[in-house]
Amino acid sequence: MKADVLFMPLRELGALLKSREILPVELAELYLERIERVGPKYNAVVTVMREHGLSQARRAEGEIAAGNYRGPLHGIPYGAKDLLATAGAPTTWGAAPYKEQRFGFDATVIRRLEDAGAVLVAKLAMIELAGGMGYRQPTASFTGPCVNPWDSNAWTGGSSSGSGAAVCSGLVPFAVGSETWGSILSPAGYCGLAGLRPTYGRVSRHGAMALCWTLDKLGPLASTADDCGLVLGAMAGRDAEDPTSSARPYRYDAAPRATFRFGVIPNVTDGCEGAVAENFKRSLDVLRKIGTVEDVTLPDLPYEQITRIILQVEAASAFEDLIESGGIAGLTAPEDRITPYARDAILAKDYLKAMRLRGVMAREIDRVLSRYDALVAPGRINEAPVLGREFRSAISATAKDIMGAVGNGAGLPAVCVPNGFGARALPTSIQFMGRAWGENTILAAARAYQSLTDWHTRHPDLP
Amino acid sequence: MSEPAKPDAEADALFEIVRQRYGDRLTQEEKDEIRKIVRAQVEAARALRPVRLTNADEPFQTFAPYRAEP
Repeated sequence: MKADVLFMPLRELGALLKSREILPVELAELYLERIERVGPKYNAVVTVMREHGLSQARRAEGEIAAGNYRGPLHGIPYGAKDLLATAGAPTTWGAAPYKEQRFGFDATVIRRLEDAGAVLVAKLAMIELAGGMGYRQPTASFTGPCVNPWDSNAWTGGSSSGSGAAVCSGLVPFAVGSETWGSILSPAGYCGLAGLRPTYGRVSRHGAMALCWTLDKLGPLASTADDCGLVLGAMAGRDAEDPTSSARPYRYDAAPRATFRFGVIPNVTDGCEGAVAENFKRSLDVLRKIGTVEDVTLPDLPYEQITRIILQVEAASAFEDLIESGGIAGLTAPEDRITPYARDAILAKDYLKAMRLRGVMAREIDRVLSRYDALVAPGRINEAPVLGREFRSAISATAKDIMGAVGNGAGLPAVCVPNGFGARALPTSIQFMGRAWGENTILAAARAYQSLTDWHTRHPDLP
Repeated sequence: MSEPAKPDAEADALFEIVRQRYGDRLTQEEKDEIRKIVRAQVEAARALRPVRLTNADEPFQTFAPYRAEP
């Protein structure tokens, strides 16, 4: 059973659980054994939730046997980035000053996944404070750098590092991560996974560590775009505990679409590594089989500066106590111990200018996106960075991240999926970014792409 | 050998705020690093300033009055 099951799409795994060909407890045991034996090899796990997971699995087993099937996630194990509050276990935020921190409640997404019958088996490693203190190196976590299962000398990306490593190495079928700017798409892209950044407000942030109140999103990492849709369907929805969560209903629609309109920013591969550019070009050829691909010019705005100033100011405010008390001296990465002090020097007027320009940006990009189903671009500009180096200065590519700045600044959904391998035999990726609340459209596009390619069926050699 | 950065009075003034608040915790090397970060922040802010906005362009953030129910 083992090799077949570890990377099985959630829909197929759910069908086996529903038909009782696989039982939730044996499935949880399978993954827990790997979490305990293999997890340390990748620094992927902070807390193993063995008793909690087996308890949920036993309950799922009884319910399914009694005919009370909750849906496609019923009995499926998963891991959660360790910035989500879980009663009965530490929630460390990846940071030494918080390694004993506990909350007496579950984050809303944890409760919703429990309601869907999913089985929480691990709290997963992450970059300290979700990378908001200005980190530049993979070691910026009190649990150490997450090792990429494709190459023990490569990083997983971050800040949802453990979420990437765990799914990629078959420790869990899916994981929950978070993105303020790049923290889902980066580990998904570097690990050869599907990663979905939902529209801001689609998923409640209640119980999640706040880094930037107007930028933080929670979303899944899994093997396929369809998996991501199934998980989002369980996570999404209005939550009275999070006033920024949207009342717009969400129901995952997996119906195929016949054709799509894709937009591409000209020269979007400038600064990308050669293999990334080549793979993207080949991906566009695939997309032309399912739709049209047109060049799109974005209005000239300082996109990266807008989003960066908002991020820097909100993160400094969210961790004001830690910074002003000098508690950041307890963080792991040297740059995280000093960079936040500089943010006292950002003027309130400049922050508000960024917030005003954000409205201009949001309206302009929606006007552009209204003509397309998705903008497409490489998911990452490079293959996974090497461990032991500062990735921001060490990477050979120098491309700007316009898609990340616009997508996160305007709160837009994006999904990335693998699209090949690079010169170091590490995964590369393509991202589909859509209009606000357009998750079903970009997921349909990513599913269509995956139906014509087999990159998502490749996995690293497993210990 | 890299060329010394040109003087930037605005960045230097803003760095002085940081130095006044936290200087006693920082080594000279850390202060030099923070000075560079402040300069980058100022350059980011300068990129925003030429973009003209109208009086109607509000911050893209909703404020709602609060009243506990019932």
